[in-house]
Amino acid sequence: MERYVKGVGMTKFGIEDRPIHDMAHEAMTLALKDAGITAADIDAVVVSNVDTKINDERQRMYGLAVSSLLNRQMPIIVVPAVCGGGGAAFWTALRLKYNNILVLGVDRVLANTTPMITKEIMNAGDNFWEQEEGLAFPAINALVAQQHMLKYGTTVEDLNLIAYKNHYHGSLNPKARFFGKKVSLEEIKKSPIVASPFNLYDCSISVNGAAACVISNDKTDVKVEGSGLATDYLAPFEREDMTIWNATVVAGKEAFKQAKVLPSDINVAELHDAFTIVELIAYEDLGFCKKGEGGKFIRSGYVNLDGKMPVNTSGGLKARGHPISPTGVSQIVEIVDQLKGRCGKRQVKDAKLGLTHNIGGAGGTITVHIFRKL
Amino acid sequence: MTKNIRWICEKCNKKWIHPVDTCIYCSGKMKKQIGTTLKVIGMTKVFTPSPPHPIIPYNVIMLEDEHGNRMPKKVMKDYSLGDSYLDVADSSDNAVSVVKIKYDFYEAVKEAIELIGDVKVDAATKILIKPNLSIPGYAYIGICTNPKVLDALIEYIIEKGAKAENITIAEQSFFVPLEKAASKSGVINVIKKFGVKYADISLTEFETVNAREFSFEVSKIVKQFDLIFNVPVIKTDMILGIDGAFENLTRFLSKKTFTELAKDPTKAVNALALLPSILSKFITIGDASIGMQGNGPAENGEPGFFNLIFCSRNPVCHDKIVQEVFCLRKLPYVELAGKLGAGAYEMSKIKVIGSELESLRRDIKQPIGSRLIKKD
Repeated sequence: MERYVKGVGMTKFGIEDRPIHDMAHEAMTLALKDAGITAADIDAVVVSNVDTKINDERQRMYGLAVSSLLNRQMPIIVVPAVCGGGGAAFWTALRLKYNNILVLGVDRVLANTTPMITKEIMNAGDNFWEQEEGLAFPAINALVAQQHMLKYGTTVEDLNLIAYKNHYHGSLNPKARFFGKKVSLEEIKKSPIVASPFNLYDCSISVNGAAACVISNDKTDVKVEGSGLATDYLAPFEREDMTIWNATVVAGKEAFKQAKVLPSDINVAELHDAFTIVELIAYEDLGFCKKGEGGKFIRSGYVNLDGKMPVNTSGGLKARGHPISPTGVSQIVEIVDQLKGRCGKRQVKDAKLGLTHNIGGAGGTITVHIFRKL
Repeated sequence: MTKNIRWICEKCNKKWIHPVDTCIYCSGKMKKQIGTTLKVIGMTKVFTPSPPHPIIPYNVIMLEDEHGNRMPKKVMKDYSLGDSYLDVADSSDNAVSVVKIKYDFYEAVKEAIELIGDVKVDAATKILIKPNLSIPGYAYIGICTNPKVLDALIEYIIEKGAKAENITIAEQSFFVPLEKAASKSGVINVIKKFGVKYADISLTEFETVNAREFSFEVSKIVKQFDLIFNVPVIKTDMILGIDGAFENLTRFLSKKTFTELAKDPTKAVNALALLPSILSKFITIGDASIGMQGNGPAENGEPGFFNLIFCSRNPVCHDKIVQEVFCLRKLPYVELAGKLGAGAYEMSKIKVIGSELESLRRDIKQPIGSRLIKKD
């Protein structure tokens, strides 16, 4: 079944304290408008949302909340996969036999103190082996980064370059948390340590927001060419090699196989950069460079805005912001906008093939999607 | 003696970090693979606090064992790559072990006992186990001692050579028939599983013991055993602060003594402090697997999923460390007991093993009471 993206839309990602329904409504409205249809034309909805208790509007039956919001009865399913929820929702929607399917990611996590948010996100790790041992997500990924450094000689400076690149991109994206805010390499280097070897700018920023897209059987100018989802052990320490995120390898291979393209064919990509090391490992696991050469790859400039394959032109989770479930959908919004030439100052010239890579947990649930401009 | 546990299929060698009893691939039998020689292969210093980990900075070290299995461990001390990680057992009275349960209660209880120098038992050793079955409650509520902890303890001491017929679980309730609490908590199933004996302390003989200004009626049962395990569930208590080693001992007293003491809180504090000196020596195993926080010790509290086992030869040290870990207010009866020579109360004299105290500290809901709770 051939699938196309009919329309996309998202809120600005930021610190605005808006009710969830308000953000969801805006993202859906923008996506429907972009698709040139109305809510009456939607046949099904796949929504991703975190069942969080850190804001004041806890709603476990979020699918029904969307039903109320759309003022319609239709098949609505919820696909939670924490930070990978948006990608997983999109992957699920592609496999449903409906014509127009709305995919929505919405979360309001920036509604509490940093320690409370840290604890909430920590719940995505194993309770007894990780949470009880203080493995907040920066710490889990810091341990992965250290293993990569020990094994391959990757440096803090390599990671700084990823942060610098994504912040530069984000400064050009009006929907990004860091829009208009330039961050220098010096600021990145001097920022406080969060979990060694990570400093503040190695970590993505929590935001609130919503993103939506409409998948359709009706032919449009953006086709979904490849779609892969894979999972791995919950905890990185369980894996044979902490520096390889196998779910990325498997999901990537599947997506490339379906799209009948090679990593070198991709013109623009949105990679899950919850932490700088995660983007670097994704370069390797998706086959953009050899294993262990992620550091060399970022230094080459290949992934910069003026490089051969710009990565995270939206600013990524780092600078656009990471609202949890909407993240994967917002990556799709960016790639579709890039393929349609709607990205203004951060536009990648002649982008024909785009890729999104979204992760839930520390490499646990991973989706890879490839889009082609027709 | 920190252990890294894996459950491994004897047939196909697949490994799990969770206890599974059959291989889901080949139906092979599972065995435990326990790593004890631990080497530091990674570390991170964390500067972001969270409610369960409020003290920063702390370290998380990645350990690798002799089987190549890894495990993370929170520590406050700085380590270097290649360092060995080793807990040294301490059999002194002032030692308190605190062990995190990694899904396996048996290994946690065993480790907690080993860390205080282990126990010597043989086929003739008469063993008394005193849980908290004061108020009926399902295990997941944290009102009674968790039957999984009792199960682990009995399995361990039988493995060490004790005979089931020489083991007695004894308790009394001042509020309900004991059977009701034993049944609702699931402890009765443990008794049946191992075929150990069961005694209602209220039905035993009591003798009068005088200590300072008090006259206690104490069950004679405490004199009939070679080894006593005091196994309280760790709960907040609106009156006492916590229900720990000391509170659990009150049910070695007669209901008459208990009722008299309960009338006057000041008197009760002074009397509680004397309990260690009028009872036989015992080992406390504090069950904080599912404890209680907030307005305990009954239904007005809420379960606290602490996932810890405390163990000590001295109740003063035990309750002091429980109070410190959970950042609870000072316990006057424990302090007084320390002053009376029942055990070390000063933190400088108590040795915490298994985990560092600072790495364990966390705020739990304090027992402050509430106007919404009926006085009766």
